[in-house]
Amino acid sequence: MREEIREAVAVLANRYVMKWKGGGGRIVGYPCSYMPVEVIAAAGMLPFRLRAMEVVSTSIGSSYYGPVVCSFPKCILQIAGERKYAFLDGAVVCNGCDTMRRLDDCWRKAGDDMPGILPSYFAHFAVPHKVTDYSVKWFAGEIRKLIDSLEKHFGVTISDDKLKKAITEYNRSRTLLGDIDAMRSGPDAFLSGTDAMAIFIAGTAMPAADFNALMEDILGGLKKKKKKDALPGRRLLLAGSVIDDIDLFRTIEEAGAVIVADTVCFGSKDRTDLVREDGDPVTALAGRYLGSVKCPRMFGDYKRRFAFLKELAEKTGAEGVILQNIRFCDLHGSENGIFERDLEAAGIPCLRMEREYGPLGDEGRVRMRIDALLERIGAAGGGSRRALSADRSR
Amino acid sequence: MRNELTEYHYDWRFWSILDNANKLFDATEKEFKSTMAYTPTFRATTEKLSTTGKAGQRLVKATARYFENILTARSRGKKIGLITYNFSPAVLFAFDVVPYCLEGMSAFYAAAWNRGIYESLDYCCEVGFTETSCSGQRVALGPVLAGLAERPDFIVCSTPGVCDSNANAFAFASAYLDVPFCQLNYPPTLTDERAVEYHRADFRNMLSFLEEQTGKKVDVDKMREVCEEIVKQDEIICEIQDYQRLVPCPVPGIFNLFIYDIKVLFSGIKDGTDILEAMLEIVKDNAERGVAGDGVERLRGFFYYIDHYCIQMKYWRWLEKNGISHIGTMMTDFWQANAPYARGREEEGYRMDLSSLDSMIDSLAAQSSRMPMVKQIRGPYDAPHMWLDDTVGVANLMKADFLAFMGTMGCRNTWSMVKLITRDMEKLGYPALILYADSFDNRIEPVDTFLGKIDEFLRVRDIRGWKGAVWK
Repeated sequence: MREEIREAVAVLANRYVMKWKGGGGRIVGYPCSYMPVEVIAAAGMLPFRLRAMEVVSTSIGSSYYGPVVCSFPKCILQIAGERKYAFLDGAVVCNGCDTMRRLDDCWRKAGDDMPGILPSYFAHFAVPHKVTDYSVKWFAGEIRKLIDSLEKHFGVTISDDKLKKAITEYNRSRTLLGDIDAMRSGPDAFLSGTDAMAIFIAGTAMPAADFNALMEDILGGLKKKKKKDALPGRRLLLAGSVIDDIDLFRTIEEAGAVIVADTVCFGSKDRTDLVREDGDPVTALAGRYLGSVKCPRMFGDYKRRFAFLKELAEKTGAEGVILQNIRFCDLHGSENGIFERDLEAAGIPCLRMEREYGPLGDEGRVRMRIDALLERIGAAGGGSRRALSADRSR
Repeated sequence: MRNELTEYHYDWRFWSILDNANKLFDATEKEFKSTMAYTPTFRATTEKLSTTGKAGQRLVKATARYFENILTARSRGKKIGLITYNFSPAVLFAFDVVPYCLEGMSAFYAAAWNRGIYESLDYCCEVGFTETSCSGQRVALGPVLAGLAERPDFIVCSTPGVCDSNANAFAFASAYLDVPFCQLNYPPTLTDERAVEYHRADFRNMLSFLEEQTGKKVDVDKMREVCEEIVKQDEIICEIQDYQRLVPCPVPGIFNLFIYDIKVLFSGIKDGTDILEAMLEIVKDNAERGVAGDGVERLRGFFYYIDHYCIQMKYWRWLEKNGISHIGTMMTDFWQANAPYARGREEEGYRMDLSSLDSMIDSLAAQSSRMPMVKQIRGPYDAPHMWLDDTVGVANLMKADFLAFMGTMGCRNTWSMVKLITRDMEKLGYPALILYADSFDNRIEPVDTFLGKIDEFLRVRDIRGWKGAVWK
């Protein structure tokens, strides 16, 4: 894994962020896949997806959030409270889920108690839970509201031309992400799921132009690979709650698997769908983000998501699916329950697993469960377990 | 789920409890007492309801009919619509659809049955639903998923944008049972033009869904009939809530539960109006005599989220025994424009305009968008018209001595902001307590434990010289 990618994954204030700030650039954080990042980019600012992998405690987060909620937004608040997001000039919180949308309330109140932890620009951004003509129209209105407020606060202009330029640049990222994704799928996977995920995560923490150049370079190397370079191991698909912890990927792959696909936030699931480049850019963004992102927050749309997951498993040659959720993430947790029923009925072995957000603290438990899944797949289909044996001999 | 629990159809079981309870109200005192000896699991609930006279009797009768309608829907060629308690059933009545309100059932199961509800709660998890999900749906959803209750023909859910846990339970049921699903989705604001336009478009979209499911067009006469009944019901509710301001409060605590039961089970039908008329009579009589609804008033408590329903309504009985007037919850505020708490804030309320079909539809859309929770927890808690505004307003109006929060462990939305609102209310001078009880699952924090915490809180904070609760 390249050093700059490793750094972007592990360090919030990575070299790209510092360079951007050093050049007088502004950075706006956002926590959810439903955020049309092109709007921030069109304002000449760097969109930065909020994460909290440096967290070692939730003492601040738990002072504002209650006890029975997802640890992801709680950890983001913790990081903000520890002033590790001091490089942010703004943050936009959206209602990806209930706990995430309350990051707006909790961060603001924490900001009253701890002056300086709330970025000078702070906005709440709402996303409908359904796709209809009127919800897309409403969402386009919400994007326009966001544009207005960014323009007013930062004294910038976000013209249609700038939006279109940003859309083109991010569409290029999406195409390249799709190419990277293809390199880790199927029998000829040349890129491990861990490395692919690291690239995907890094892309949320650096300017799109830098990211595109980096991906082109990486793809150049990957395209030279021969069939013999294909990674051995059971092909698995990882689905469920948000993950930005490549150690989880590494743990799974060290057990003898290759994660050939994922449907998690920060991963590749819906980052490859393009935004239309013709017509009104705001309407195009509204349509793309509301219609393409696949999340159980879009209630009543299970069949479409199941069809996508099943097709993805088939297309990428996944022999099994890991369905994980962060504890208290009922949206993914319960949808995983039905995915498990329906995937198993389709002959695809599944593993359901609950975890906490943050640095992998229960590696042993995760390992044991992955072993069990791989054994099950092995028993059903036989085949090599090279990596697993190698690992056990350590 | 234990085998013995799968022997009986849940809807039938509870209909028979209610039907028999209903007959008991006409019994002699001796007959009543003798029968109670044979009903250990719901004795206290029945006794509690019997103390409310005609109002309780009408509630039991109407609820028995509610179950009967569900049980006989198929034979009468009617569709069953599974709904959430944040959705007014009135529009379903207008379509001649039989509503099946999941949380209404859950509250009833929790109140009437000490043991069996845990199996139904857990059954949901057995089939893949998360154990951390809201118990409000899980109690009654278990039998539906297990095929031990009537199967819904479709689902209408009004909590996307308001409560993920709630909406997710209905989405799960739809996917698990392969039943058509329709959602009403709410933006984070209430009164601005974009929000109003969205409410109206979304409600009409739901009407199209109902037309598709029932094969019927909106019937203007039926729509008017339910709207007229809503107007009558709302007037009475507002009057009762006006009386609730008096010190001592002439409204029996349990009437708060009746009010939201009526709005979520009997909105727009005469059954609901009849219960309300009986309630108003009792309240007026208490007010004239200057007595508290529950006898003596020592304190006035506002429960700023929801109530507790388990173990034969012990919480309600404890409040009554201790002279704590229950002066409302988020669940009792439906935001009619003429509600006492809406004075000066009329634009936040809804009005029923019966002048045309369109105006009735718009009125129902406005009513839906003000249902409990739908109004208050859709946007930032301290934004205009939201939870903080409403809690401050009601606490002031109703002269609350203290506030207590209780909900379910599955409520991600309120658990993500309850510390903030509680702190704000304390700053405003209201002693406010966060309880870790679960309204529908007594295993989380048993009723005696959380009642003990209320008692301790009142004592430690020395609220109106509280000397301790009566427990026997």
